[in-house]
Amino acid sequence: MSAELGMKEARELLKKHKIVIAGVGETEQGKIPDKSSFHFLSEASKLAIEDAGIKKTDVDGLVTAFSLVEQTFMHCTTFADYFGMNPKFFSSIAVGGSTAVWMAAEAAMAIASGQADVVLCVRGDNTLSGISSSGMVALIREMCHAEFEFPYGLTTPGGYALAAQRYLHEYGNSREHLAAVATTMRKHAADKENAMNKDPLTIEEVMGSRVIAEPLTKYDCSIISDGGCAFILTTEEKAKELGIDNNLAYLWGMGQGYSHQYLTTLHDLGQIYSAVKTSGDKAFGTAGISAGDVDVAFLYDCFTITVLLELEGLGFVKPGEGGPFALEGRMERGKDLPVNTHGGLLSQAHLGAMHHVVEATLQLRGGAGKRQVDGAEVALVHGNGGIVSAHSTIVLGNQPLN
Amino acid sequence: MAEGKYAKPLPEFRPETKPFWDGCKQHSLMLPRSKQSGEFFFYPRAFSPGDDMSADIEWVKSPGRGRVWTFSIHHMGPTKAYKEDGAYVVALVELDEGVKMMTNIVECDVNDVKIGMEVEVVFDDVTEEVTLPKFRPVSA
Repeated sequence: MSAELGMKEARELLKKHKIVIAGVGETEQGKIPDKSSFHFLSEASKLAIEDAGIKKTDVDGLVTAFSLVEQTFMHCTTFADYFGMNPKFFSSIAVGGSTAVWMAAEAAMAIASGQADVVLCVRGDNTLSGISSSGMVALIREMCHAEFEFPYGLTTPGGYALAAQRYLHEYGNSREHLAAVATTMRKHAADKENAMNKDPLTIEEVMGSRVIAEPLTKYDCSIISDGGCAFILTTEEKAKELGIDNNLAYLWGMGQGYSHQYLTTLHDLGQIYSAVKTSGDKAFGTAGISAGDVDVAFLYDCFTITVLLELEGLGFVKPGEGGPFALEGRMERGKDLPVNTHGGLLSQAHLGAMHHVVEATLQLRGGAGKRQVDGAEVALVHGNGGIVSAHSTIVLGNQPLN
Repeated sequence: MAEGKYAKPLPEFRPETKPFWDGCKQHSLMLPRSKQSGEFFFYPRAFSPGDDMSADIEWVKSPGRGRVWTFSIHHMGPTKAYKEDGAYVVALVELDEGVKMMTNIVECDVNDVKIGMEVEVVFDDVTEEVTLPKFRPVSA
């Protein structure tokens, strides 16, 4: 099947089924030592079910991810047991920072193929309070090649720093360009109720903060947090049947792209752009739109550099222009392309792209309060797993795809 | 360094990677190459990652010369064992054979490392079993 035909097929399926995000839930985020991983999963699920105004028994599909704290061999059904569910479709997704985006896509595919009608997608973890120091070392080890990279003391920020250093070298961009991503996220987080870091942050403060792995400082790195987040997918028809009152966010397209797992096997930055573009083009092509049609974007911001690579790879700006775009404040709400209006992983909370998906839904619903982007009709969410290696994109609209 | 004192992460060898580490122990940088396609690849695998999928792998001794493709001065290590060390350089070196290796740049000031800098392999016998290939600037 050619890529074009694949997009046509996907478009027909999405038009036919009118798959929507109909409910969302976010718990408090931060350092919350008195709640377990499964507590957060349950609390977020309950909030999303209540937000949709449905019953737990209306949910017949479950997509979860993994925990960095609780060892689980079958995460989805472990949670089904804990929460008291009997799903007829269940899946655990583990593609790093791509996970939340692809949870939505997998739920949609399950619905379109008749496996379930109402799918709960949920993540929750007490990463900040619950992870042990050996667990953290194991995570850092897993983020790189254990045999050929880890023995050189490569850290996770260090992996992104290697990409950032090359990026700055190739385009003559500067540290300020990276720092501007962090300050923009902080500005947005100030208006997000449950954001962990809301204090104003300047470019000078980012650049003057503790150096972790050059060229990245403390504020170029995302936060670690405890919390839960969930969203519910169904069809427009089923949402009506269940009496769901919320404005619906319609799934218009989805795609993935892969370049490398380990930096050792990365040929050049072009390979990263190509993977981001493959993912984005499939989502855009299925939706029948281009980057210029997106009103609000949610880009995976585990480190400042990833936002620039995604902006450029997705075609919002040309390679190398993401830095100046950020520094000119053009990612701020009210400007050219508002990015991560909830503050992202850099300032709100870190639960993969879960909050990115939820905020995209709130923006399209017109329910983002102070953060509302005027006239938000089309939103994009892009996640990346590994060191900018495994990409997933979804495009959502506030109307059915036509 | 004396046996037992090295507390930093060590590689765990696999059958298909052991020839590489055996070479390092002999202070030879051995690179895997598909006999079928003639292409070098790195890290070592049991099958060529090229389209040939060949398991017919030969090990070729490399002169160990290349250039820094990118690097990051690490001010914080991944484990407690790095706490007493100062900043160190983790780099991706592109070898003349075309493959890249993650490594440390040693025998120079961390602030002197630059992208494009010419480097050559040196062998660090960190334990009795493990020798890590590292790189240093090629002296002018």
